[in-house]
Amino acid sequence: MRTIFTILLFSSLLFSYQKGDIVSSEIKDKLEMKDNKIYVIDFFASWCASCKREMPYLSKVNDTIDKSKIELIGIDVDEDLKKGQTFQKELREAKKLNFRVVDDPKGEIVKLFEPVGMPGLYIVKDGKVVDFLFGARDNIDKLLLDVLKEL
Amino acid sequence: MRTLYLSLVITLFGGCSIKDVKPWEKGTLAKETMREGGGDVLFKKFANHIYFSKEGSKGGGGVAGGGCGCN
Repeated sequence: MRTIFTILLFSSLLFSYQKGDIVSSEIKDKLEMKDNKIYVIDFFASWCASCKREMPYLSKVNDTIDKSKIELIGIDVDEDLKKGQTFQKELREAKKLNFRVVDDPKGEIVKLFEPVGMPGLYIVKDGKVVDFLFGARDNIDKLLLDVLKEL
Repeated sequence: MRTLYLSLVITLFGGCSIKDVKPWEKGTLAKETMREGGGDVLFKKFANHIYFSKEGSKGGGGVAGGGCGCN
């Protein structure tokens, strides 16, 4: 009984990606990921103010990294695809977004990762989740670069 | 009898359960209309007036973030 209760309590953690978990081939195919590259996966949405604020900093990181080794991928989780794409267009026009974005209106990708907060940043190396950063963070660009330097 | 009791317990527990809103599903909750008074500017102004007169201070009535389940 106690085991069942514990499993139920942590069930959401059991199914979401934790550090060291291998990313499924389904996700790899959807995001066109290669095994020899480091990927920074950013979950964002148009309604998330912190995500919007974070975007220019991530674009700044994208300018400094070696793109042959590291790649940033944005996942737009807006349920309204049109709204999400308009948001992305606005960001690109304002030069606040300079990496590729995959739309996930049905939540097929985000449901596998299950980030505990938005924006949700996952760092994936050799198909494995090595680190994550959730929520609004100060100096996210420096934080992310520090994480990437250690890999 | 036992089956009936068990199904009753399951139904009662099921009735009490609420599906939690995941961080990526908060698009509707983040809308202006979901706030107290919705998008009504006058209501907001009036509510703020009450709040500030009660607290004896101005500002600090809001919270940071965009309703996205983060800080």
